[in-house]
Amino acid sequence: MTREPFLRMENIVKAFPGVVANDHIDLTVERGEIHGLLGENGAGKSTLMKILYGLYSQDDGEISLSGTRLRLDSPQDAIDAGIGMVHQHFMLIPRLTVAENVVLGEREPATPFRPDADAGGWLPDAVRSNSLVQSLAGRFSLGLDVPERRIQELADRYGFDIDVSAKVWELGVGQQQRVEILKALYRDVDLLILDEPTAVLTPTEADLLFDSLERLTDEGVSIIFITHKLEEVEAVVDRVTVLRDGENVGTVSTSDVSRADLAEMMVGREVLFTVDRERVAPGEPVLRARNVSATDDRGIEALSNVDLTVRRGEVVGIAGVSGNGQKELAEVIAGLRTVSAGELTVDGRDLTNASPRTFIDNGVSFVPEDRNRYGSAGDLSVMHNAAMKDFREDRFGSGVTLDYGELRAHAEALVEAFDVRGVHDVTDATAGDLSGGNLQKLILAREISRDPDLLVANQPTRGVDVGAIESIREAILDQRTEGTGVVLLSEDLDEIIDLSDRILVVYEGEVVYETTPEDADRERIGLEMTGGGDATATAGAQVRGLGGSS
Amino acid sequence: MNVELQLDPRRTVPAWLAYGTPVLTVLAALAVGGVALVALNVDPVDAYGVMFVETLTSQFGLTEVLVRAVPLILAGLAVYLPLKAGLFNIGAEGQLLLGALAGTWVAVNVSLPAVALLPLMFLAACVAGAFWAGIPAWLRAKWDVNEIITSLLLTFVAQELQSYLLRGPMQGGTGNFPQSARFSDAATLPPLAGLVPGGESIPLFADVHAGLLVAVAAVVATYVVMTKTRLGFEVTFVGSNDEAARQAGMSRHTVYLFVFLLGGAFAALGGIAEIAGSQGRFRAAFAPGYGFTAIPIALLGRNSAVKVTLAGLFFAVLFVGGSSVEVAFGVPAALVEIIQALVILFLITSEFFKRYRVGIAFDRRGNDAPADATGGDARW
Repeated sequence: MTREPFLRMENIVKAFPGVVANDHIDLTVERGEIHGLLGENGAGKSTLMKILYGLYSQDDGEISLSGTRLRLDSPQDAIDAGIGMVHQHFMLIPRLTVAENVVLGEREPATPFRPDADAGGWLPDAVRSNSLVQSLAGRFSLGLDVPERRIQELADRYGFDIDVSAKVWELGVGQQQRVEILKALYRDVDLLILDEPTAVLTPTEADLLFDSLERLTDEGVSIIFITHKLEEVEAVVDRVTVLRDGENVGTVSTSDVSRADLAEMMVGREVLFTVDRERVAPGEPVLRARNVSATDDRGIEALSNVDLTVRRGEVVGIAGVSGNGQKELAEVIAGLRTVSAGELTVDGRDLTNASPRTFIDNGVSFVPEDRNRYGSAGDLSVMHNAAMKDFREDRFGSGVTLDYGELRAHAEALVEAFDVRGVHDVTDATAGDLSGGNLQKLILAREISRDPDLLVANQPTRGVDVGAIESIREAILDQRTEGTGVVLLSEDLDEIIDLSDRILVVYEGEVVYETTPEDADRERIGLEMTGGGDATATAGAQVRGLGGSS
Repeated sequence: MNVELQLDPRRTVPAWLAYGTPVLTVLAALAVGGVALVALNVDPVDAYGVMFVETLTSQFGLTEVLVRAVPLILAGLAVYLPLKAGLFNIGAEGQLLLGALAGTWVAVNVSLPAVALLPLMFLAACVAGAFWAGIPAWLRAKWDVNEIITSLLLTFVAQELQSYLLRGPMQGGTGNFPQSARFSDAATLPPLAGLVPGGESIPLFADVHAGLLVAVAAVVATYVVMTKTRLGFEVTFVGSNDEAARQAGMSRHTVYLFVFLLGGAFAALGGIAEIAGSQGRFRAAFAPGYGFTAIPIALLGRNSAVKVTLAGLFFAVLFVGGSSVEVAFGVPAALVEIIQALVILFLITSEFFKRYRVGIAFDRRGNDAPADATGGDARW
């Protein structure tokens, strides 16, 4: 093909202190194509897209769109060139309406000031066409009727079910994402960059998004879809470019390759999707929760009469649709949430409503669901975060003193042992500098290095790339072999089935079903997760991971 | 012509910016302060010459600077410690006054030799200051009451208490002036000269009182606690992410109480040292504002106790030099306050520059709306 592609990025180089984030990367995207950008966390996907969107400027290399060379110094340049981006974290103002958010920065003056005569009409033309009046009106008045009509048209054209006059805070996450897409479409973009768009969506919302994307491409819009989920690549993407360590590994058509091929391209080695579990005879019970009830942050009962026993050398998987009490259950058994009824023993000691410190001292380790908010302090160094729970131990100093040399050595050992990447100096790099997968590895390293009796892991592999997922799962199974009791909470049913010895399903704060991976029937688990036997069979399809390898 | 500002979020803060901020901030504040001087028909070069060069080269100036620095550094630490735990102690002034009141009460009512009386005065001051600071800390830890408001309001209570006590129960001395009795020799802080080995040979130490040793000890104690102890580790952690700290089994209550109690005690030491070392009696009109100046001091020096000391010394120079300028050129005393306020303003501004790289473009297009949908990633 000699024809010039729609977008061409050539030899893009971008270096940050200590790392080359993009090392001579080429990328071409055709018109009307959904082009996947696949890579582990830290592979350089986001950097490349930020260059394309004018947020970073490249050190070297060229970008051209429809054959025209572009110089992108700011997102405004990118938008003017027809490139839009939907960030993972939405850039919306919750108090404003959908229409106000969409026109933000591109607003039109109120109707009486509009230059086209028939619009409002009571102001004399001489006044209206005065440039000072125009400039003031543009700054200080806001006309929403015309934009609202246009936004509604756009929404209808692409099948977005959205009320343009609704306030953004009233909308669900999936709808907010559609507002972000509308914002880009309103600015007439031909190329839309989506940064891990499904990370925040439920599976049903993700399917809706995929439908919308197809409609967009039918209209000639090209889409770059950043992801590290292989199943999404297979589901929506036409061609995919794989990045690894800042380099372009190759661009392939998704119809030509298998999931395993893609994973190998991404990680650089063969990835095992099946996990070998050694036989471990479960030992003494380490955790016993009897009739535990607890409320959520709003004071509404989130757990009622839960019984849970975990033995040494056993992984108990807790499956459920998000929001059915898993978070509260994890916090209760990690000692972070008080129970309103029931009792809790760890290794035979009654720890009901004991302090978090007591749980830690009794060998309970916890990997929280939100690693940035609860699992680490982003402003502090890797060293601080690595020692967050252990700094009281005798090896780090005597009495009240703390030996920072030892802390440093400890952090370095963890970083080394768990292959946490992106850390050149543990006292200099902060936890916030690490990519999601590497931060999660650091947290897991910290929790496991304490030789826990009980490990509670809530969504340990969420938002983590394939390579890190593999090592996190291995680490969890190693703990099992060493005789730790493990509670694994996950929305990924494959993960639960692969790792667990027993599976419990929670629904509305109660354990409704128990099974083992050998007897596990995905349909049945799916049904129990969504409300039990009286629901229809299709309900199961909404559960993440259920469409997988059953 | 259109001028467009371009803001790029920074990924990392360059070292020169991180370390140069306090210096640049001070320089910028002095530069803008120079505009006020020009407006008053005073040559800023002359004025700053008097303010800094003369102050720092004369025996009198240096003595005054060190004496002033004692309460400023101690009050600065009182703001710095809570700042490390993510709290704002706006009430160092009140804690300082309470400390001065308690110490003064001991000084005029107890007769003991200096070796026993001075420690007792300082102890009483510490207890009172810690108590005054403990109230907002406890309210914050227990009920999540905003410590900025409570500590500030308690300062007003302390000021009224001072006014009442020095006009009533604690009024003393000859005449009916609203002030305490003059401190006895035993209750007065001696000059450094006799206390430091070889101190007699240093002329500067003849007039600088022993409160300087207290301030130095407080700085050392703060430094050691923050960098060498487990408690300091907890303070840092709670200050950075209190939710994660809770999950790590740290107690927010303990940390909040610790930083406020110790901070309050330091402010109180500053108060009694100023009265017993410099003033000689406690006047009802004594309203030094050290506790408020402590806020820019702590913000300038927030990276370490040593930097708090430097910032305290700088403000001492500013005060002493400011009054020289006032005398020499007849400019209003408010000038020093203006520079102080400018330091805070430029510190806040510097946060912006740390976060964004700023570029200016001329005559691009007629569009005055920069990045909208995007604005860069808010995480930086």
